[in-house]
This record gives sequence, structure tokens and C-alpha cells, in this order.
Amino acid sequence: MKFQIPIGPQHPALKEPISLRMTVEGEVIRDADLRLGYNHRGIEKLAEERTYLQNIYLTERICGICSHSHTTCFVQGVEALLEVVAPRRGQFLRYLVAELERVHSHLLWLGVAGHEAGFDSFFMYTWRDREVVMDILEMISGNRVHYAINTLGGVRRDIDEALRTKILDSLGILRARTDYYFKLGANEPSFVGRLAGVGRLSKEDALALCAVGPTARASGVAHDVRRDDPYGIYGEIPFEVCTADSCDVLGRTVVRIKELGQSYNIIEYLLRNLPDGPVAVKAPRRAKPGEVVSRYEAPRGENIHYIKANGSDKPERLKVRAPTLANYAATLAMLKNGFIADIPLIFAAIDPCICCAERTVELIDGRSGRPSQVRWSELRRMAARRAGRVSKKRNMEWPL
Amino acid sequence: MNDLERIERIKAVLGERAAEITNPSPQRIFLTVPARTLVPALEQLKTELGYRHLSTISGVDLGDVFEILYHFGYDGGNLNIRTQIPKADPRLPSICAVIPGAVLYERELQDMFGIIVEAIPDGRRLVLPDDWPDGNYPLRKDWKHVRAAEKIPGGKS
Repeated sequence: MKFQIPIGPQHPALKEPISLRMTVEGEVIRDADLRLGYNHRGIEKLAEERTYLQNIYLTERICGICSHSHTTCFVQGVEALLEVVAPRRGQFLRYLVAELERVHSHLLWLGVAGHEAGFDSFFMYTWRDREVVMDILEMISGNRVHYAINTLGGVRRDIDEALRTKILDSLGILRARTDYYFKLGANEPSFVGRLAGVGRLSKEDALALCAVGPTARASGVAHDVRRDDPYGIYGEIPFEVCTADSCDVLGRTVVRIKELGQSYNIIEYLLRNLPDGPVAVKAPRRAKPGEVVSRYEAPRGENIHYIKANGSDKPERLKVRAPTLANYAATLAMLKNGFIADIPLIFAAIDPCICCAERTVELIDGRSGRPSQVRWSELRRMAARRAGRVSKKRNMEWPL
Repeated sequence: MNDLERIERIKAVLGERAAEITNPSPQRIFLTVPARTLVPALEQLKTELGYRHLSTISGVDLGDVFEILYHFGYDGGNLNIRTQIPKADPRLPSICAVIPGAVLYERELQDMFGIIVEAIPDGRRLVLPDDWPDGNYPLRKDWKHVRAAEKIPGGKS
């Protein structure tokens, strides 16, 4: 006997609107389906009516966590179209903010994973330590979320010697805390027991379904755009691509904790080798006709922007593919043959950002084969029919 | 393997199927393939040369034709396979048999451009609402968004 269960678009286990539909047999998920669009804002269409400079601020608002990855991806592409090269100090600062953003995003994710696994002290620890990096980001850019630091031809703010020393000091705290998390995450029996073996994604599936980021790396697929297709200054920065081959949520946790360590090394390298000079150059407003594909390793995986210029100061086309969208197909594969109770954990393990990707899952009645989800319009009609049947109380006063 | 060697190998494998191949900047290869030979070409590129990571599919409205770009990532750069289909008869073969991860991008193309992806395993709507009027494809250049007049619930008029 099979049932279809809808999860979302509004659900206590999900932080953002997405509709998942699961076909379940008892406690076991047999099939999963996805419906997106609850957060679609038409940004690609909107971008065609904005200038390149205005689009930086638009792309920043694609996501509330990896805001810098979208602007950097966009700015890298537009700088290539405008034939401008950002000065070295500007590039160092741009990728410094990028790595700090990765640290804050991974710490946030670790907290969410702890919370979904029922380990709330872990959640509170990681989020407390995340404030260290949030404070650094605020000191650099003036903002905690939308840093607005990128501009065409460089970055908008410089850092001074005092701030440089302060960030280096803070790295010591973050390193010590991350080592503690690694010990905890790998050794705490109840935590490991909850995560190990949940949400399996084999290496073959990860490759076939084009998974990206920590989700793919935890299945032994060593893809990282920073190494595979180096952009900016990543060609000269030494770092390792972290992988795991356990193919489950535990692997995804381990990969992210290891990546934190790599990010601290990159931040230290950038600060110790920070060149002198200007942080930005003046960029022209119009781009010659042309096209460019810009790729970027966001905290959640590969982010890709395709920009086509038509000779004016506005893009002809801006295509954005955020990493979460690339991981949905893999998520559906992970959910299959899992348990209902694992849904939030598996879903949280890809670190979904619905704002970026925009999608859903539902559950189905397998006995009748009829979906138990109804459209909003149908619900509204049903509500109106029901309202039509109740006795009318016009001009009634609400008991306040 | 540098870009030039890659281009040579792609040419050798695809033969006359590769209509045009350019290398406008380092780490970026653009290959043009006619729509009718797209699936066999992708199959060959996947099995013989290992291009299997599809990053995304971009659609562009060029007036009379749609240009579809399949962005493939590889170790060292990015291969973009370009194909064009007429706007009057926007039919595109599905590549899901070769690249199973392409289904969401193809559904998005159907929603946003009104392209009919033939033999798609799952052709339901993905991003547009269920009650979206038929024949409205937001990313076509001739589609303009008109904001509906604001109605205040319970207000006069």
C-alpha cells in the first residue's frame, strides 16, 4: 500500500518554500517528486532591463547566504566582456570575502545539520562561532549579509593593517573551534549514528545526475571549480580539494568541516601575501557584443552565469544556474528507499537554497494512485464553496 | 591537455558533425552542432571523451531562432555546445537518455521559452505556476510583463 505525502511549500521542517511529494510504503519512501516556482522572481528577465552596474546589486539579491558568489560570478564575466582586469589587491580582497563567505555558510550549515539530527548544542556552538566571521565581514564591508563589495573593475572597500591583523587573530579562534567540531562530528556516537548511512548517493549516480559541490565530493567525485577551472587568483593559491567516499550525510558533514580548514589556509595566504596598490580601476559602461561563461565555486557547489552582450550597457541575456538546482536530481535519488524521518536531514544535507534555485517535493497515495495534493486555485474554490454554505453574518463585529 | 589538443580530439571524434568550433578565451571552447545530430554527438563526447558533467542549459532568444547552449564542465575548463532551432517550430531533442541530470534544465527551457523538448521523460511544469496562462513564455524577447492593477481586498470599487 502506497501513499503520497506532500511536504511543503510551507512546512515546519523546511526553511524556504519548496514542494516535495513522496510516495511512501509504510515508513519507506519509494518515489520522490519535486515542484519549484514558489520563490521564482523572474530575475533573469529583470536583468535584461538593468545596466551591468545595476545588475551587480540585483544578482547580490539572488541569495541571502551566498550573495557574494553570485556577484563575483557575474562581475568576473562582465569584466571579461568589458576587457577590464581588476588590480591584484582588488582581486585578493574579492576572494578574501569569498572565502569568508564560505566559512560563514559552512558554519551555518553545520548548525542546521546538528539541529536536524537533534543535536541542538552543536547548532548553538556553531552559530555562536559563526558570529566571529560575520563580524569580520561586517568590518570589511559594513554589511553582514549583502556585502556589496564587488564593483566592475575591482572592489569598493580597502582594508587597513589593523583589520588585517584582527582577521589573522580571529582565524586562530576559528581553527581551534573547527578542530573541536571535527572531533565531535567524527566521534560523538549519537551524532555519527544519526548521520551515517543516511541519504546514500553512489559515485555513479552523483556523476550521472551532475551533482556539484560538497554533495558530489562526499560521493568521491573530486570536482571543484577552483581547481578544475581556476578563476581569478585561484591558480596561484595552494589548497586541497576535500572529498569523502562514504556517500552519505556523514560524508557531507566531514567534507564541509575539512573545507573550513582549507578556507582558513586560503584566507591566511591571501592576507599574508596581500599586495599593495589600488583596489579598483574605472570600467567602461558599454560592452562590445560577445558572450562569456563564468563559473565559480560557491559554498554549495558550482555556480555558473552565462552572459551575452549586445553592445549596449545592458546584457542581452543573463542565465544563472545556482548550485542547489544542480543538486535536486541527486536529492531525489538520495530520498528513494530512505525513511520519512530522514527527509529533513537528507534535504538539509545538500544545503538547499531555494531563493537561488527555486524548487519542491510531494508525497502520493499509492493505493488509489491519486495525488493527495490539490492546487491552490482548487483549494480556494473549495473554501469559497464552503463559505457560501455557512449562514451569512453581515457587518458582524469582531470580539476584540 | 590544453585547449588546442582538446579541440583536435573533439574534431577527430565528431567529424563533420562539428559544424564550427572556436576558442574565444582560455579554458572556454564553443562548439556548434546541428539540432538533429545533437544526441548522437553528445553520446560520442560522453563515451569517447568523457564530457559528462552538464552544468546547465541556457536558452537565448535571437529573434527568428532560439539558441540553446549546453555548458559542460571538465577538468581544466568549460565546453559549450551550441545549437539553433527555428522559433516557428521550436522542437529540440531531449538529451536525458545520455545525461540523466539534464531533466530539470529541459523542463525549465519548456516553461520559460515554450520550446518543445521531444521525448523528455518528465515534461510537467517546473517553475511557472499551475494556473499560468498558456502561450506565455517569459524569457522570449516579445513577452513583456504587465503588472496587474492593484486590488485592495475589502476596498471599494
